[in-house]
Amino acid sequence: MKALGWFAAVFLAAVAQVTVAPLFPVAGAVPELVLLTICLAAAFSGPVPVMVLTPLGALMLGMVSDRDPGLLLLAYLPVAVLGALLEDAPLPLGHAARTYAMTLGAGLAARTVLAIGAMLGGAPAAFGALAADVLLPGLFIDIVLLTICYVPLRLIGLEGSGFRLQRGRYFASL
Amino acid sequence: MLTLNRYSWWLGAMVGLAILLGVAGQVGVLSPVQGVFLRVTAPFEGIFTGIFRPVAGLLSSAGEVDDLRAENARLRVENEGLRNELAQRQQDAQRIKELEAALGLAQGDTSQSRLAANVVHRDSSPFSDVITIDRGSNDGIVKGMVVTSTQGSLMGTVTRVTPTRSFVRLITDTRSNVRAAVLGGEGADGILRGNPGRTLTLDLAQGDIKVGDTIITAGLGGAFPYGIPIGTVTSVEGSTQDLFPKVTVEPMTRLGTATTVLVLMSFVPETLDTGSGP
Repeated sequence: MKALGWFAAVFLAAVAQVTVAPLFPVAGAVPELVLLTICLAAAFSGPVPVMVLTPLGALMLGMVSDRDPGLLLLAYLPVAVLGALLEDAPLPLGHAARTYAMTLGAGLAARTVLAIGAMLGGAPAAFGALAADVLLPGLFIDIVLLTICYVPLRLIGLEGSGFRLQRGRYFASL
Repeated sequence: MLTLNRYSWWLGAMVGLAILLGVAGQVGVLSPVQGVFLRVTAPFEGIFTGIFRPVAGLLSSAGEVDDLRAENARLRVENEGLRNELAQRQQDAQRIKELEAALGLAQGDTSQSRLAANVVHRDSSPFSDVITIDRGSNDGIVKGMVVTSTQGSLMGTVTRVTPTRSFVRLITDTRSNVRAAVLGGEGADGILRGNPGRTLTLDLAQGDIKVGDTIITAGLGGAFPYGIPIGTVTSVEGSTQDLFPKVTVEPMTRLGTATTVLVLMSFVPETLDTGSGP
């Protein structure tokens, strides 16, 4: 049931990415709603749903926009790995801090991959503009939206999940 | 390292899938599925747009009241000037007709067949600026067709078509390049490109270009017809020793807020790969 909920959330995020997000730009940048939804799935349902939602989200956003779904998939790949690396790292980070760090890292990686893909497709190699016009405002709006979603979900009692993939749990949570 | 080992099979599979999806997208295998998916998402788009567009309009207007007042005053003055100019043009047109009749010249049909379409999506991802319109191959749209605003200014070109929808790459997309010229500029031209900040620059610009000049399509390369207005030169930077000055162009139409566009149905783009176009 929870898996269906996340599937619906990713579907709506893909549609909202091309209908709602462009209406509210911050310094010209827009949030990556599908990526944010995958990060929230990682935070509240663990890595297994993320491993399914990542290709689905990339495919759905690729369909509804004119983006290359393959490139989107590569851009979203770091979410699952980053979450697990942060959990295994010898850092005194709580669940919220890990979620924020994972979202920041994944947002940074996704935007960089998408920008490099665009540059390989003919866009000028403007790395200064990538940092100033894309990364900084984009990550800021991602964090604001994450806070708007994460805090209420914790307040209504949703338990944070571990990010580490455990043996024997590939299909247990589906 | 143990963490990565546990994900290695999945990462490998996903990289393989990404390559497969990339190839499938390039050869068009996904197009039929995409058409069906866009039909499924259509009702949700309507709901989201219906709810959030008025909110965005309200927020935008609230923050721009002073700017809008100033713009309104400026537009009133400009409107008066344009009305006067129109009257003069009508007189000139009448005079030309009389002269053509006197000389026995037959005037060719220069009218363009245009199809109106609504903007249903906009994807403003890094370095790209693409809109989706609610017309597709069922309406006769083909890849490469030129899209303008309702007032006739250039907006972009169709890059992908499904039966009911078409994707239009806007001129502010960083992958877009348009052979452009200065209206009445006696050979002044360049290549208009989009920038990451959704601005336009005229690269490789040559000739006498000044602030306020009107930029139009040059008609070279076969991707665009000649003479479609694009924008106005807002700055020209560089010394006389520079080979090419840096020319910034402001689009004539507000690309981000357009809700209706026109597709030039009578212009068939040439298929030669000349490096110009989307």
